[in-house]
Amino acid sequence: MRAVSRIAASVFRESVRDRVPYNLVLFAILLISSSLLLGQLTAGQDVKIIKDLGLAATSLFGLFIAIFIGIGLVSKEVDRRSIYALLAKPISRTQFIAGKYAGLVLTLAVNLGVMTLALYVVLGFMTWGTSPELQSAWDAPGLDPALMKAVFLTFVQLMLVTAIALFFSTFSSPLLSAALTLGFYVVGQFNADLRNFDTVVDSPTAARLARGIYHVVPDLSAFDVKLQVVHGLPVPAGYLAATTAYGLLYITAILLVATFIFSRRDFK
Amino acid sequence: MPPAIRIEELTKDYAVGFWRKRPYRALDRLSLEIEPGEVFGFLGPNGAGKTTTLKLLMQLIFPSSGRAEILGRPVGDVPTKHRIGYLPENPSFYEYLTAEELLTYFAELFGYPAAERRRRVGVMLDRVGLGAERRLQIRKYSKGMVQRVGIAQALLNDPDVIFLDEPMSGLDPLGRRDIRTLILELRDQGRTIFFSSHILADAEALCSRVGVVVRGRLAASGSLNDMLAFDVRGWELVVSDLDPQTLVRVRPAARRVTEISPGRYALELSLDHPPERVLADLVSTGARLVSLNPVRETLEEFFVRRVAEMGTGARAPHAQEASRAGG
Amino acid sequence: MSPRALGLLGPWLAVVALAAAIALQVARDRTYPRDSRAIAERALYVRSGTVLQRLALEFDALASDVYWIRALQHYGGERLTRERARNYDLLYPLLDITTSLDPYFTIAYRFGAIFLSEEYPGGPGRPDLAVALLRKGMAAQPEKWQYRHDIGFVHYWHLRDYKAAASWFQGAAAQPNAPNWLEPLAAAMLNAGGDRASARLVWGQMLQSEEEWLRRNAARRLQQLDALDQIDQLQEIVRRFPPPEGERYTWEYLVRRRILRGIPADPTGSAYRLDAASGTVTVASDSALQPMPAEANLRLHAP
Repeated sequence: MRAVSRIAASVFRESVRDRVPYNLVLFAILLISSSLLLGQLTAGQDVKIIKDLGLAATSLFGLFIAIFIGIGLVSKEVDRRSIYALLAKPISRTQFIAGKYAGLVLTLAVNLGVMTLALYVVLGFMTWGTSPELQSAWDAPGLDPALMKAVFLTFVQLMLVTAIALFFSTFSSPLLSAALTLGFYVVGQFNADLRNFDTVVDSPTAARLARGIYHVVPDLSAFDVKLQVVHGLPVPAGYLAATTAYGLLYITAILLVATFIFSRRDFK
Repeated sequence: MPPAIRIEELTKDYAVGFWRKRPYRALDRLSLEIEPGEVFGFLGPNGAGKTTTLKLLMQLIFPSSGRAEILGRPVGDVPTKHRIGYLPENPSFYEYLTAEELLTYFAELFGYPAAERRRRVGVMLDRVGLGAERRLQIRKYSKGMVQRVGIAQALLNDPDVIFLDEPMSGLDPLGRRDIRTLILELRDQGRTIFFSSHILADAEALCSRVGVVVRGRLAASGSLNDMLAFDVRGWELVVSDLDPQTLVRVRPAARRVTEISPGRYALELSLDHPPERVLADLVSTGARLVSLNPVRETLEEFFVRRVAEMGTGARAPHAQEASRAGG
Repeated sequence: MSPRALGLLGPWLAVVALAAAIALQVARDRTYPRDSRAIAERALYVRSGTVLQRLALEFDALASDVYWIRALQHYGGERLTRERARNYDLLYPLLDITTSLDPYFTIAYRFGAIFLSEEYPGGPGRPDLAVALLRKGMAAQPEKWQYRHDIGFVHYWHLRDYKAAASWFQGAAAQPNAPNWLEPLAAAMLNAGGDRASARLVWGQMLQSEEEWLRRNAARRLQQLDALDQIDQLQEIVRRFPPPEGERYTWEYLVRRRILRGIPADPTGSAYRLDAASGTVTVASDSALQPMPAEANLRLHAP
């Protein structure tokens, strides 16, 4: 456990020194300038659009972090052979993988946290500058705590993407890992469609294949509750719990396979 | 007492080629035992399998067959790693850390409390000669400085068994001398050292035993004295005030004649020409004796000879057929 | 050029090159203007909302905002243009995509309801599309009274089907959180139908809306109704005080005779037009109130 937390801390430190925080600055600038410019354009929809923009940007920036740092986690170390000296220390390969993953999850959490805070600050200003009568027309309050539900599910989704990136990174090159992880992400967004393929396609084999893929590839669209949250529609606690549990189980499966592969591979 | 390192029939095959994979045997049934307190030199030309052996011992790669033990435990055993140290070949470390931070990180992984960590890190960095540079990021280091960091991290935990892969690489002559001194110190402390090198002079200076590996096979192992032909195989006679006519007369008796300066020559005599006779002959013409020394085979000559004898070693396809047939 | 000179001049040359590029672009655009409509149409190359929903991955809310902004700009741009005939063809597809990407985007449906059914040249004059859009909104959120109310409104104002309007308003009144003026409105539909009182009722309620542009639109409609009332009064006056035999109708005549205090103007300040031959009073053709609603729709009293 101690070894895992040390490795995690090292990953976090690397992400900070690797200038990941700069994208937080970019995020904040994007959000603030949009909020200033949008007012005139949108016939009173600026709060909705800021929420949409804030949540979408949080998702997207988080995705970049998950993929690009995720693949570097193992691939870069193996490529650069800094892993040689590390594995001579009293840690197992399993602890190595666990530590790397924990570090990246920590990095993600901090980044998402900062972005969410920035979003709330901007929303706070907008709410403060709007009269109560206009506010009553909004689907959901400006400083809506329900936004955190969307961010939370995004976080679980990104933990899943990170696990996939780590998995690929245990055996393939950085470039290939990035492409495959991105591919999984995109297919995961469409996943819900695969379920009902039989209504669209004639061949029953294709439909069965699609059903199979549906169950194996993670259903990432289930983690997207941004629309509901922005329009003030309810997101039941049961749904949150079930989706989170699904994510955690899937992550466990992937990490187990990744550890299995990593424990048996040769390092060039 | 059990051997510090025991290697039994350790073999590593790779499949190379893009479509039809051909087997390539990087290491062929290596067997060695290294006793505690030995300084063992693992020698061989580039590509012989030295680094493969070390990676197998550190379980960075897995053997195709055979096994190895360190301090009585199978390789890869995590608790044993508290007692070993490893310096990889051309090491690379996290560029964004300073040497101090890197060593502290490794010390954390060993589980030392904070005060102990600070002490060890400080001592190690002093010992390898990294002063104020220890606070710079490793990306700014020269090759020699990175090598020193590598040595420091290998010794951080006072290991009983130390594995060094090309420890002198990247160091200037002063650095080399430092590391030689260090290795001798470690030996005097009773530690076991296994180091691979292609620089024979280092092995000659440091090792009690050596192993020579060529193209994946162990060509020879044993103490230096045993391996090198102890018999004298010639004499080197250095004389001065030798006049040219005498030189012409004596030249056929010598295997090689080297002019050191006008009138001063070094003659390498084979065993057929007893040096006393030649010396008496030369002195009678007015030459003067400077020195007379026996010539023994050097490690380098032994090495080159063995490499030639090994031929294609274990890696030719027919050699593998032969070995499979029980040859 | 020596490296030293390049180091000194380099940045300045870059600035000059950039300025030249910009100047070239301005000149090119002036010589070969690119139709903004054509660009907008290309944006609609993918017209299927479902396909766009797939392409947008999890960012459909943001994509719907983009299309919403485009819909507003398209409508506003066409409405303001004087160079050519207005063309609102893209309004429905843009709103359709917006609402496919975000089915809960209430304002998009309501905007469509009003401005899709608006007669040309104020809008495309397609109440059928407005109703289709609102039905889509109802499918996503059946409990929203606003969609039923808006369908009722379209039937009332544009389709002149007062019974249908009344039934829609009643349906709206039955939804949770429905305001209490919907029932009387339904009743007014059944009773009076196409008169100004019921119109005032409908627009008066719209005046209370939270949406600013709905309020502005309602205010304008009420001004038009006021204008119609004023026209009736003025027409009565003109009828009672005709000019002498053989002379033409003018406002000056009535002003000279102290019947009117000044040339009458509509609520936006444009003078009413008095036809010299027939004596008919109308809103000036260049008044901001134009286009006026169809007269036959708005008799003073129910038949």
